[in-house]
Amino acid sequence: MSSFEPDQFESRGRREWVLSLFFIALSGLLIALPSPAQEQVAGVFRGTVLAPFIFLQESLSQARVRAAEMAELQMQLDAATAALSAQRTLLDENQRLRALLELRGRAGPGFQSASVIRAGTRGSESMILLDVGRDDGVQVWDPVVSAEGLVGVIREVGPSTSVAMDWTHPDFRVSAMTLDGTAFGFVEPRHGAFREEDRLLLNGVPYYTTLEEGTAVVTSGRGVYPRGILVGVVESLAEIEAGWRRGYWLVPAVRPAAVTHVLVMTTEASPSGDPRPGEEGMDAFWGLWADPPPDTLAPLVETDIPGGVEVDPGVSPDPDTIPGSGGPGP
Amino acid sequence: MRRLGFYRTILCLLPVLHFLLHVGFGMGRGAPDLLAVGLLLLAREVRTGTAAGIGFFLGLLEDAFSLLAFGANALACTLLGVLGSRSRELFVGESLLFLVSYLLLGTWLRAALHWVVAGDDVRRDATQALLIEGPMDAVYAALVGVLILLVTGVWRRDPSM
Repeated sequence: MSSFEPDQFESRGRREWVLSLFFIALSGLLIALPSPAQEQVAGVFRGTVLAPFIFLQESLSQARVRAAEMAELQMQLDAATAALSAQRTLLDENQRLRALLELRGRAGPGFQSASVIRAGTRGSESMILLDVGRDDGVQVWDPVVSAEGLVGVIREVGPSTSVAMDWTHPDFRVSAMTLDGTAFGFVEPRHGAFREEDRLLLNGVPYYTTLEEGTAVVTSGRGVYPRGILVGVVESLAEIEAGWRRGYWLVPAVRPAAVTHVLVMTTEASPSGDPRPGEEGMDAFWGLWADPPPDTLAPLVETDIPGGVEVDPGVSPDPDTIPGSGGPGP
Repeated sequence: MRRLGFYRTILCLLPVLHFLLHVGFGMGRGAPDLLAVGLLLLAREVRTGTAAGIGFFLGLLEDAFSLLAFGANALACTLLGVLGSRSRELFVGESLLFLVSYLLLGTWLRAALHWVVAGDDVRRDATQALLIEGPMDAVYAALVGVLILLVTGVWRRDPSM
């Protein structure tokens, strides 16, 4: 019956178009999904179909670290051992003094070492996979650091893996300050024409505060990042809003593309929900990434700021009371 | 003549090779976009709806690593699958020149579609993305794709043509 053939072809053709439109609409729906739902869908694929590929890179990465960086790791271990030995006396003294003053023990951070796994696929920029997860005490918003400084923050946690965003992610923000505590601001990423040109901007610095080139900028302890993690060093003046604020380009402490091994700062040592070290103490990480200032957070007397803030010696300044200082982080 | 079963098996293995190079060996942009090559060649072997489905699935796999533009790869690959499948009605070719041109244009189109669909957070300068990186990636992927097909012997010109 030849009269039926055109109908059959037409029907099949229509079905193919409907199917195509269905998949196009489904793709559009994926884009419109809220972020947590997107991460759930992505997590399912990473944990199933793509798991062998991730496992392969994880194994290769670990083998590479073991083979190529053994000598360097040994040197770092020796240096760390020497530094710890020198600080042991201070630690004991500090614990005795805290006991005398009836202060509770400081909530120390737990460091989880992790191998960095990069997808290297289109759209996977600013994202790194780590081979530690919930079972290792990692939680969402735990800071990710390397020997050079701040790398990023954990965004999603699975049982044995986690997803972190590095500082090139557009949502990345960190409340930061100079080592001497004279300037506070927000650090945010700025994209260059190439990925290699991405850099950081220290924004919201008070107009009358000028920063010299090479000034170290560290996390201020406001928000999710403990105080004292090196973010970068001042490179040059980026922008001025007359009479109000300045922005400075920073040379990032860490180039995410070069990172193969990181540490996740967990709150495992503080299961009771004690505050992070940066919120409680002033000098939790001084010396780990940058030399501590001569007097830890020297008295802040900004005489050239109209209505400037004057803080008593020995009392840490509250960033919220300083003009132009950053508020809490993400 | 192509041995159809072996040819399709190789095409199905191209996306696997893509993830092996990009994710497994962590080569990143040093590896060619074999996902697009596999999808473009598979799309010419199947119906439009099936090609869209394959594109959607492969794109979704790439999106599993995308924090910034989730869904952009899925949409780009779905559209590429549809266009690749419909291209049979416009172009009938078995020559090496056609194969290279088809893969080159298709791979560039995939990059362009992703650039359009991805949000401002991911989108780079248009000149950089579409006129420099896009064509370079497309040439690389097309050449490697053709080389794989020639080396495996699945693509040979029909002597009768």
